[in-house]
Amino acid sequence: MKSKPLARCVPAMVTIAAMTILALALALPAAAQAQTSAPTKPATSSATKTTHPTASVNTATPAGAPVKTYGSSTAPITMEVFTDYECPSCRNLFEGTLRPMIADYVANGKVYLIHHDFPLPMHKHGYEAARWANAAARVGQFQNVEAALYDNQNYWGTDGNIAKYVSAAMSPAEFQRVQKLMVGCEDQTTAAVTSPSLKNAAQTTHSCALDSYIEKDRALGMTIPVNSTPTYVISYKGQRLPAGSGVVSWPILKQFFDSLLSQ
Amino acid sequence: MSQNTRPKWARILLIVGRIALAAIFLIAGYAKLKPQFAMLWSVGSVRTSLSMFAMQVDSYQMLPPWAVNAVAHVLPFFELFLGLWLLTGIALRFSSILSVLAFCAFMTAIASAYHRGLGINCGCGIGPVEQVGPGALIRDGLKFLPLALAVTFGSFWIRRKPAPNAVTVPEAAPSTQS
Repeated sequence: MKSKPLARCVPAMVTIAAMTILALALALPAAAQAQTSAPTKPATSSATKTTHPTASVNTATPAGAPVKTYGSSTAPITMEVFTDYECPSCRNLFEGTLRPMIADYVANGKVYLIHHDFPLPMHKHGYEAARWANAAARVGQFQNVEAALYDNQNYWGTDGNIAKYVSAAMSPAEFQRVQKLMVGCEDQTTAAVTSPSLKNAAQTTHSCALDSYIEKDRALGMTIPVNSTPTYVISYKGQRLPAGSGVVSWPILKQFFDSLLSQ
Repeated sequence: MSQNTRPKWARILLIVGRIALAAIFLIAGYAKLKPQFAMLWSVGSVRTSLSMFAMQVDSYQMLPPWAVNAVAHVLPFFELFLGLWLLTGIALRFSSILSVLAFCAFMTAIASAYHRGLGINCGCGIGPVEQVGPGALIRDGLKFLPLALAVTFGSFWIRRKPAPNAVTVPEAAPSTQS
């Protein structure tokens, strides 16, 4: 039998397309029925939220845990980002996506952004940068320092002179307070970054008080689990999505947020 | 018909193969469209799911935003369409070739992302969330692509017209030209 020309299959294609639409139409109500009886997912980021209950921009809590958040915790969307300051993709995410997001959706109360440290052992100065950022967060200067670290990643990533860019991001008085918090931390950096694994790094740097915050973030990241940086977790009204990773451009992320907010 | 000249087991195997192939595409398409969070099925929930899939497509960093949206909004429906097409068995040679091309495209994207060192989720929609890398490539390259190729070859083999010398009736043999 000779094979049919493709043109003769057009009616069949139309039939299949119609079947696709019909199947969707039939599946929607059935699935909706199933969804109504399905249990809702528990919100797993509540621990993080309780860690940063105030969560307002530039809130300084010198005596407490470092505040590494942007915006209001009452925002309908929460985005938690696990990053390494020396990771180029993390810089791209911050510069191209998070920065416009902070200026728009965070400022307008739509998104609550939480930063989590997840320094990778492959980066020589990533752990030390996280310490500086946590020290800055303790004096309410996290946002300026985070921006400074990403803006100058190429420079301090090469020479390791992180203090230069941290000091430029705040007043001399604030930098002095940060330096006090960093006492006993800088000399252990070498041990941290030369460790073969993050686990070992954590073991060798316990005497630096700031490391407890980094390790707390890392432990949270392990539960996600974070396999690479940047990794982000988006929650909407207490429901958490599976973690995403890599760089997402702002127009695409904004489109997703808009679709959530229009629900 | 030429199909009748093929063994029955081959035809059954082809049916099983194309149903399995159809299931892969139907599951992948459904996973990309199903409601996220605890939403009910609605136009809005589908829009949200497609926006979320667009984020996964975007993380491959291969396309501009407009093309990301185009792919993200077409691919899930294409997968459903192809799944149903394979399921019906109509023009199987064309649908199976299309499935081979689709898997080749997916594998190229995954290999490209892996080569560029992107630690991103596959976004494949089949099975648990998986990062791009050897695991995803092995799954597509050693399971799905061979299945699609087998169905393609099978569909051509089943439909192929037997060669004249395969007919074992001496009287019916064509006479030589004078």
